[in-house]
Amino acid sequence: MIPIRCISCGKAVSAYFDEYNTRIAEGEDPKLVLDDLGVTRYCCRRMLIAHVETW
Amino acid sequence: MVPDDLEVKEEEGSNMEIDVKSKNDNEIIFIIRDADFTFVNAIRRICMMEVPKVAIEDVHIVKNDSAMFDEVLAHRLGLVPLVSDAEATESLLLPEDCDCDDTCPRCTVSLVLKKKGPGVVYSKDLVSEDSKIKPVYDTIPLLKLKEDQEVELEATAQLGIGLDHAKWEPTTACAYKYYPEITIAETCDECQNCVEACPRGVLEFDQKTKEVKVVDVENCSMCKSCVRVCETKAIDIGYQEGNFIFLVETDGSVPPEEVLIKACDVLSKKADSVITFCEGGI
Ligand SMILES: [Zn+2]
Ligand SMILES: [Zn+2]
Repeated sequence: MIPIRCISCGKAVSAYFDEYNTRIAEGEDPKLVLDDLGVTRYCCRRMLIAHVETW
Repeated sequence: MVPDDLEVKEEEGSNMEIDVKSKNDNEIIFIIRDADFTFVNAIRRICMMEVPKVAIEDVHIVKNDSAMFDEVLAHRLGLVPLVSDAEATESLLLPEDCDCDDTCPRCTVSLVLKKKGPGVVYSKDLVSEDSKIKPVYDTIPLLKLKEDQEVELEATAQLGIGLDHAKWEPTTACAYKYYPEITIAETCDECQNCVEACPRGVLEFDQKTKEVKVVDVENCSMCKSCVRVCETKAIDIGYQEGNFIFLVETDGSVPPEEVLIKACDVLSKKADSVITFCEGGI
């Protein structure tokens, strides 16, 4: 499961998790999706980019 | 009584000015001029640590068939931001200000989560008894349930401050920086290395006048990448004493202006207690 908040700054990044995943699956550029969602800091961006959903 | 010679006089530092640069629902950026950094830092620290907001504190788990441990689930619930602006928390008391022994309806809000698998349980499935105090985002995944698995729990949310737990911090990014000042000396040989080195697009080369121009000084992070590549030592990065660029970003539970207002309230309450002590003590 994705952590609820960004580990570094506390932004609630998990709220964007589903939208991020569906848009990536549709072939959008992750950079542009993150910019569009308002996830601007690199601490928050890595939470979504580097996440591996194992269970 | 306060002796006459101790009374606060009009001083140079008191003509502080504030300009709002940009703001939206959960972020405000403003410029403070003619202020002391100790004061600005006091505001920053209070915004993060001593402005109350609502978060889930106790979780009573009736049933949890999922693969997730109860403790992990309770921790995840605690981190879900709940709407706690002035309107929503108007009648809610801080547990330490309430005269009950433990908890009561005046200082807590109860939320219920009941869901049957299969599927992902989201923050929107949390049903609050108070229509205003509810999760800020509906799309936070809380846990996953397989076929025939069930979850049933009651969570109690209360007001708290960031000093006690990070879940009660209304701000995410809350920081200030000195107002940058970039000076380019006559010795500049127009090599344009600095324009290329700047990671934030602060500098631009004007082809007509043949000189380096500062186009976005407020975006400068004072990393000094430009200074390092300048062979003639023409460019210098400094800051303006007493001027700051302040950013307050919240997790959506409290609007940023309200965080600042409440921070000032907390600061003046602290000052009031010093006044009370001095008047009563001397
Ligand atoms: Zn972050
Ligand atoms: Zn109470």
